[in-house]
Amino acid sequence: MRTGIGIDIGGTFTDLVLRTGAGRVLIRKVPSSVPNYGRAILSGLAELLAEAALPAAALAEVRHGTTVASNAILERKVARTGLIATEGFRDILEIRNLRMPRLYDLTWEKPPPLIERCLRLTVPERIAVDGTVRTPLARAAAEPAVRALLAEGIEALAVSLINAFANPAHERLIQEIVAAMAPDLPCSISYDVLPEIKEYERTATTVVNACLLPVVARYIADLETGLAGAGVAAPLLLIQSNGGLTTAAAARRKPVTIIESGPAAGVAGAQRFGRASGLADLVTFDMGGTTAKASLIEDGEVLRAEEFQVGAGIVAGSRLLTGAGYLVRMPAIDIAEVGAGGGSVVWIDPGGALRVGPHSMGADPGPLCYARGGTEPTVTDAALLLGYINPHALAGGAVRLDPTAAMAGFTRRIGGPLGLAPEAAAYGTMQIAAATMIRAIRAVSVERGRDARTFVLFAFGGNGPVFAAAVAAELGMRRTVVPPAAGLFSSFGLLLTDLQHDYARTFRRVLAQAEPAEIETAWEELAAAGRAQLEEDGVPEARRRIVRTASLHYQGQTHELTVPVPPGPLDRPALAVLAEAFGAEHTRVYGHRAGPEEPVELVTIRASAHALPEDDIGWPAPPASATVHESVRRAYFGPDRGWLDTAIIGRAALTGGRAGPCIVEEYDATCVVPPGARAALGPFSSIVIDLP
Amino acid sequence: MSVDPIALELFRHAVFAIADEMALTLVRTTYSGVLKDNMDFSTALADSEGRLVAQGLTLPGHLGSIPTALETVVRRFGESLAAGDVIIMNDPFDGGMHLPDIFIFKPLFAEGRRVAFAATVCHHTDVGGRVAGSNASDSTEIYQEGLRIPPLKLYDRGLRNDTLLALIDKNVRLPVRVQGDLRAQLAACHIAERQFAALIARHGPAWVVAAMAGVIDYAEQLTRAALRALPDGEVSFEDWIDDDGIDRDRPIRLFVTLRKRGDGLTADWSGSAPQVKGAINSTLSWTKAATYTAVRSVLPPGIPNNEGVFRAIQVSAPFGTIANAVLPAACAARGLTGFRMVDCCFGALAQLVPDRVFAASDGGNTGVSIGGYHPDRSPFIYVDFTCGTWGGRPWADGLDGNANIFANMASQSVEVTEAEHPLEILAYEFVPDRSGPGKFRGGTPYRRDYRFLAEEGVLQVRADRQRIRPYGLYGGWPGQPSANHLNPNGADGGRCLPSKVTMTIRRGDVFRHEVAGAGGWGDPLERAPAQVARDVRNGMISAALARRAHGVVLDAAGTAADEAATATLRAQLRSRRREPLPTVSWHEPEGEHTQS
Repeated sequence: MRTGIGIDIGGTFTDLVLRTGAGRVLIRKVPSSVPNYGRAILSGLAELLAEAALPAAALAEVRHGTTVASNAILERKVARTGLIATEGFRDILEIRNLRMPRLYDLTWEKPPPLIERCLRLTVPERIAVDGTVRTPLARAAAEPAVRALLAEGIEALAVSLINAFANPAHERLIQEIVAAMAPDLPCSISYDVLPEIKEYERTATTVVNACLLPVVARYIADLETGLAGAGVAAPLLLIQSNGGLTTAAAARRKPVTIIESGPAAGVAGAQRFGRASGLADLVTFDMGGTTAKASLIEDGEVLRAEEFQVGAGIVAGSRLLTGAGYLVRMPAIDIAEVGAGGGSVVWIDPGGALRVGPHSMGADPGPLCYARGGTEPTVTDAALLLGYINPHALAGGAVRLDPTAAMAGFTRRIGGPLGLAPEAAAYGTMQIAAATMIRAIRAVSVERGRDARTFVLFAFGGNGPVFAAAVAAELGMRRTVVPPAAGLFSSFGLLLTDLQHDYARTFRRVLAQAEPAEIETAWEELAAAGRAQLEEDGVPEARRRIVRTASLHYQGQTHELTVPVPPGPLDRPALAVLAEAFGAEHTRVYGHRAGPEEPVELVTIRASAHALPEDDIGWPAPPASATVHESVRRAYFGPDRGWLDTAIIGRAALTGGRAGPCIVEEYDATCVVPPGARAALGPFSSIVIDLP
Repeated sequence: MSVDPIALELFRHAVFAIADEMALTLVRTTYSGVLKDNMDFSTALADSEGRLVAQGLTLPGHLGSIPTALETVVRRFGESLAAGDVIIMNDPFDGGMHLPDIFIFKPLFAEGRRVAFAATVCHHTDVGGRVAGSNASDSTEIYQEGLRIPPLKLYDRGLRNDTLLALIDKNVRLPVRVQGDLRAQLAACHIAERQFAALIARHGPAWVVAAMAGVIDYAEQLTRAALRALPDGEVSFEDWIDDDGIDRDRPIRLFVTLRKRGDGLTADWSGSAPQVKGAINSTLSWTKAATYTAVRSVLPPGIPNNEGVFRAIQVSAPFGTIANAVLPAACAARGLTGFRMVDCCFGALAQLVPDRVFAASDGGNTGVSIGGYHPDRSPFIYVDFTCGTWGGRPWADGLDGNANIFANMASQSVEVTEAEHPLEILAYEFVPDRSGPGKFRGGTPYRRDYRFLAEEGVLQVRADRQRIRPYGLYGGWPGQPSANHLNPNGADGGRCLPSKVTMTIRRGDVFRHEVAGAGGWGDPLERAPAQVARDVRNGMISAALARRAHGVVLDAAGTAADEAATATLRAQLRSRRREPLPTVSWHEPEGEHTQS
């Protein structure tokens, strides 16, 4: 087994998980060092290596999840970037698709375009939708635009021309001009970033990529320098939004792939954990301080989204309303997020209803019980008041909690006005928070046509296991699994994932009239790019795998469905199999399909290049949990059951099974097993909670 | 039966989750792009009498339509409704809105009693009539507009009405799509039925009925609390639609009076024009939706969409007017009137709560359709709805390139349009100097140029605000009018077209639509000079307009304001003013000229 480390950076904590060659796992949570994230990484790394008695040179790889890209967008600390577009289409980036995320709200502000209009210039050229050149681009006509932007002091350049997905010649010409005039200027052309139809999606994604180029390059260079200085010789790998790893060199070229890096690692880890322990169908539930996130793993595969919004903040509630952030069309794990976390504020609205979130006190000043100047009662205060969390045990006792502050806040602000005892108000808070989180889970299950009851809930994050059993009960899910190191499972997940690179290109052909050889050639180009990347990554040929999928629709439909492509050469019978696979998927998703006379159209061809896991990867042994002195604490489980004496135990005490109520306390998380439920140790030291 | 506040909040989550899940089911299972891209549909859960309990977050224009339709259903069928029934309807003169909007309702039963309705309404691709898409603005009576469906049972105790379905099939142009979308509506109702049954199983019917009433009361309390915080008063506003496309020289009056007293508000549309020949007549339900949209927009966010809101906001309009049309009025293109009623209502609200209301937006979306036949006689039809400017606001500029507050529609991709239709889009970009100047300027409009690539086709446009411009508020100037051009780059300079037009076009013809610029808010001379300079730098306004409207003089580089010269020019411009700034402006101040 290779010695490796997983490092996941969050807003509050940086989590590190070290796996030694002997299969030992050590964990560490250190406060994040903003804005110089490298410092926390290096100090945590040094501590772990010391604990494991290993030299830095023993590390074979460093795997990393980072929010550097999404934070740069959120805070708009991106490079000063220029855009070159087609004459007549200067404002595609700013007009967007017109849609807004809120109704009846005159205060809505569109996120300002990442490139201001004065840095968006056009050139006279036009390519038709079939790729033929209508108006040729003259070098002499393009040069002034590049020159003008250079004079404005741009630090990066995006080029996105109408119909360039069908013919990149003009974008390539501008790229050449830039290479000649400013060889050091980072430049993205839309054909390289996203060779797909739809000018807004392509332009928006190319712009996000371009304006991140210098940011991510700097971040990676700093981190690599720091690691080298600490004696680490191992390559740096980063996790992408699609849940696969990429190399530092590839991430530098295409930073748009690592935007949703943070949340992806936990889901990818859950997928691998599920495969190893025979759980094919999981709903993942990751709850931290400000949000709760859910995603779906079906038949061992994660559910993917083709696009997402970055920099939107949390828009609670419906996924019907989009447009709050910056659109990125890149494959990503489909994650639904709601504004309900430990820091979410509990309040009473003018209609007299008890509400939870989406506003959060965050980690600073934090909940009332942190006694750091928090002014509003929060979900964590409710959990403390109810006896679910230990006032002395947060982050191994590093943070002390003040139960009297929580009690006073709930009594005065919530219980009093509603005429409820403080524990009843706190219990109601937990129920309403759970209802909000359930909307995230429903978003990836019921709203995708899946029945959550046939899935296992896989709970992690600092607060996930506190709520998991209650959430599962509400959804009718019978089983909940809490993995080891639940509180820093995202870093753990990093150790379980593999390299993956995705490629796609618009290739519109009506299947019945298509020339198979032409499609095969186009597909082979994508596959070749994937193989070349894996070669560059140092993956031996035997471990390379290319998976082809196709997005199709009935001619005239505006949305596509993606299906696997039959293996083997793409001849006419194979195209017929593809058409049939599309029809079957149409029935599965929409409940019906059209007759054979409706033409099926290929829209996008896709290829994913995977590095298969090494055979001897094995499964890391769980971290040894600190010995917990068993004790008993009073905890409140609703008006029917009231206050109950609840055993406080370590994970090991679950051997042989145990009936709730009990609470498993660990360094990084707390797991509540409510009365009526049964908990036992499962594979790889996971906690398995079964509901009646 | 009483419901405690925590249980009520949990129930509210549950019923709104049902309405949203219905909406998502529709999006997931629908066949047509109109629904996916334009979100031109709504879903809801109503109580046994059809009172709205929870509406999904989709189209503001549909708020109020479902209870109106359900009222007809309950009146028509009453106690004869049974488990397994499904009702279909679309007749604007029998509870509907316009013919393309087909309603599907499913009554939900518990212990043998009707306790609720699952409700959906969708804009269908085509329901027959004289023009493909059933959306023509130049029809003059409803009989030209397509198939009228009174409230009928599509399913009778679970048995499908194949006679009715066969009749629908033969009267629409794209039966596969219509059937597919009807199936999507049914799927949404089934989802609601299943989820609602789970609520009943858990809490019992009596508790659920009480909780539905509780959720309505809660919305009413929130609405009334919000209204109470507004000043009392009676305000009215007058605005005009250019014309109905038939009687080209006759503007159409919209007039509303809002009376706000204590915790209630009434909106009275008396004084609005009689119904017109063209297809822009509105049903009362559409008028209500427009009124609710404007009023809700000045109330705090987060009020649930249900009957509780309607209890606090009463809307009336006399029969036979454009705001409450009667048979045989044509109404397919009444969307336009709704948008303009929203503008009119905002104009009234601006006098009641000046700090919360924006100046006039672009007047709502413009419908452009281009249709014809390929050489092999197969038809093509391209339909685009486009809009994009918000009026200047008392605290910020109007938005540039954003959906109208009344319809959260998405734009269509230029490239997809070119891939699927015999069209080439030559331009889609902002036009400078068209927004209304103000302390906070109106949104900047864009133009779209379409070049026609087939042999011959029919162009139909439904636009407005070509003669009656988007008004400015509190000293802000109005926005520039919308424009339609044919062959603007032609050797002869082409020609201007009226706002509503149906005409034949040929290969190579270019049609240009320019959205109207939105009105400005506040005195343009109070606009921060840096903001003006930024607009000039970004090409949103010219240096000439910066001087003329804002009194801002740019420095030699043309990128920043020259402070001294600006102060001098502003003093000069102020001293020339003879009258106080008007509350509502329809034209530039005297002595100023429209610049095109």
